[in-house]
Amino acid sequence: MISVKKVNNRPLNLLERIYVWEIARGLLVTMRHFFVNLVNPKGLPTIQYPEQPIPLPGNARLRTRHRLKMRADGAPKCVACFLCQTACPALCIHIEAAEHPENLVEKYPAVFNIDLARCVMCGMCVEACPEDAIAMDTGEIPGGAVVREELLMTKENLLRNLPGEPSLVGAANRLANEYLRGKE
Amino acid sequence: MPNLTIDGRSVEVPAGTTLLEAAQRLGIYIPRYCYHPKLSVSGSCRMCLVEVEKAPKLVTACSTEAAEGMRVLTASEKVRQARRDVLEYLLINHPLDCPICDQAGECGLQDYYMDYSLRKSRFEAEDKILRQKRRAAGPYLMLDNERCILCTRCVRFCGEVTKTAELEVMERGDRSFIDLKEGRALDNGYSLNIADLCPVGAFTSRDFRFKARAWFLKRTPTICLGCATGCEIEAHHYEGTIYRLVPHPNAETNTWLCDHGRMTYKAVRAGDRLGKALIRKGLIDLEPALRETATRLEEAKGAAAVLGSPWLSVEDNAALARLAKDSVKTANYCFDFSAEQGIKDGILVNKDPAPNTAGTRTVKALYGGLSLEEFTGLLAGGKIKILITEAKAYGLVKAAAEAAGIRLIIFARNRGEAPAAAYAVLPYASYFETEGTFVNYQGLRRMTAAAVEPPQGIKPLWAVVNKLASYSGAELHLDSAPRALKDMDF
Repeated sequence: MISVKKVNNRPLNLLERIYVWEIARGLLVTMRHFFVNLVNPKGLPTIQYPEQPIPLPGNARLRTRHRLKMRADGAPKCVACFLCQTACPALCIHIEAAEHPENLVEKYPAVFNIDLARCVMCGMCVEACPEDAIAMDTGEIPGGAVVREELLMTKENLLRNLPGEPSLVGAANRLANEYLRGKE
Repeated sequence: MPNLTIDGRSVEVPAGTTLLEAAQRLGIYIPRYCYHPKLSVSGSCRMCLVEVEKAPKLVTACSTEAAEGMRVLTASEKVRQARRDVLEYLLINHPLDCPICDQAGECGLQDYYMDYSLRKSRFEAEDKILRQKRRAAGPYLMLDNERCILCTRCVRFCGEVTKTAELEVMERGDRSFIDLKEGRALDNGYSLNIADLCPVGAFTSRDFRFKARAWFLKRTPTICLGCATGCEIEAHHYEGTIYRLVPHPNAETNTWLCDHGRMTYKAVRAGDRLGKALIRKGLIDLEPALRETATRLEEAKGAAAVLGSPWLSVEDNAALARLAKDSVKTANYCFDFSAEQGIKDGILVNKDPAPNTAGTRTVKALYGGLSLEEFTGLLAGGKIKILITEAKAYGLVKAAAEAAGIRLIIFARNRGEAPAAAYAVLPYASYFETEGTFVNYQGLRRMTAAAVEPPQGIKPLWAVVNKLASYSGAELHLDSAPRALKDMDF
C-alpha cells in the first residue's frame, strides 16, 4: 500500500507575502557565513581539491593511487607476469615485458602503464599480484587533472615517491636477492 | 582382440593397445606427461598410474598392454592418492617461477595440480635444489633445467622424429638433467616442436619469449603456406597481432611443424609491410596507383602480359586470369607452374617451396593460357611492354623480363620482396588476413582463415584486381572470394 502524505500548506502571512523581510533573512545567513569565514578561514569545510590533500583515515583497507614497489637495487619488483592486467576489470593496465640482460629474474616490465582515467580503484591488481609488487597505499586520490595525459601513470611515475622501505619478500625475489648478494 | 573393463565400462581393443589408449577410446582421460601418441613409450613420469584388479601394485597405463578380462580403475581412491603423491614428488624442486614462465597458462604442472592435487607443499621454498636457469639451447629454444620434470619427450623427439639426437639425459638419479650433447645445438629445423612437446616450462620458444601470456591468445585454425606440404596450423593471436603458429595435428599431413613454417607469420607485421602502393618507389594511395596502372595498361594495349603465381590462392589466381582475359583482353597469360613435389627430409619440408602449385592447375584447366616456356620466350621476344604478376612468381621470369626491359606491375605484401625495378607495387592482404584456397602436394584442398585484420586500406588481391579492372573500363564483378571461383570446376 502506498502511503500518501497530505500537505496542508499554510497560507503566507503579510510579512512573507511582501518578500523583503524573507530576502533579507536569507541574505543574513549568507553574510554570517561570509564574515565568519573571512575572520576565521581555517573553519572552512571546503577543500581546494586536488591542490589541497584530503586527510584520510589511513586504515589498511583504504585504496588510493597505485605504486610499484622496488627491490633493494631500485629495480621494480614487478616481473611482468600480466596477472594484474588479467584481473583488471577496467582494462586500464598496459604492460610490455622484456628480458633482463643479466639479472636472474629474467623478466621485467619495460612498460607499465596504469590509465587512472579508466581505473575503478577496485584493488583487484593488488589482490592478483603474486610478487607483492603493486600496492594502493600512496594516500593520493586520483581524479583531478587538467589534461588526460596527467592521469596516465607510467612505470617511472609509479616507482616515484614510495612510502616505506624497498621490499625483499616475494617468490621470484629469491633469485633477485641472490643476484644482489652476488654483487656485493 | 582383448575385451577389458575400464571404470565399469567394457571395451574391445586391438591387441597391443595400451590401457591409456583404451581409456581414451571410452573418453576417459588419464593424466600423462611422458606419453605422446607419436613418440615411443617411456613410462618415466608415473602420472598415468591406474589400478588393475589382482595386480599387486598400481601400473602405468601408458606402458601396460590391455589383456583379456582386465578390470581397470582410473579414479579409485588409491589412484587419486598416487596422482597426488606423484605431483608432490615432481613439484619438490620445481621453482616458483610461474610469474616469469612462458608456459604458465598451458602448463601441465599447473593444470594437473588444479585437477588432481590442490595439496599444499610440505617443503620449504628455501630447501629446493637449484639447477641451471635459462640458457639458449639453439636458435629457437631456451632451456631451463630447474623447471624440467625429466619426462624425456624432447630426448625422444630428437632421437625418433628428427633422428638428430642432440639431447641426452645426463647423470643419474636425483642429479639427472637434460642437456645438449657436447658441441651440439638444437638447430635441426624442427626444434620448436620441443617447446610444444614440453609439458612444463623447461623448453620455451625464444621467438615467443615474453611476448604474450598464453591465456590471452585466441586460436584460429588455418594452414601453413611455407611449402607445398600445406600443414594444418593454428595461428595464436591477440588484439590484431599474431604471436605464434603451432601445428594442428591431423592424420593427412602433419603432427609437427617445421621452424621455417612457424616463422612465416613474421612478414605480416614486419617493418617493411606495405600499407600503401608504390609507384616508381614512391608511396602513394592504392586508388591513384590503380588509376595510374590502368592508364599504363591502356597505353600498352595488346602488349600486356599476366603471370599467375603458385604463391597465391586459387581465388586470386582466378581473379588474375579474369583480369587478363576479360579486362586487359589478351591471350598473353600463364598459369602453368610445375615443380617437383614430395617430402624432402622425410618429415614435413616439401621439395616445392610454393604452397599452391597444384592449385594453379585448376586455374589453367579453366582458362588455359601459355606454358611457362612459351611465356618466358614471349617476354624475351620484346613484344611485351608491361607485365602484371606477383613478387615471388616474378622470380621465375626475372631474367627474361629484365633483359627485355619490361615495365613491371608487381603484387607484393612486403617492400623487401618486390623487385627494385618495379614500376608499380600493389599491396594486398596476406593469407593470415583473408581467406584463400590452397591445394597441397597430396591434392588436399585447404582454406586459410582470416586470423587478424589487414592494415588499413589493404584489400585481398582479388579485390585489388577487381578495382584495377574497373579502372581499365571492364567490370569483373568480383565482390567476394567465392565469386572469383565462378565457373571453375572446383
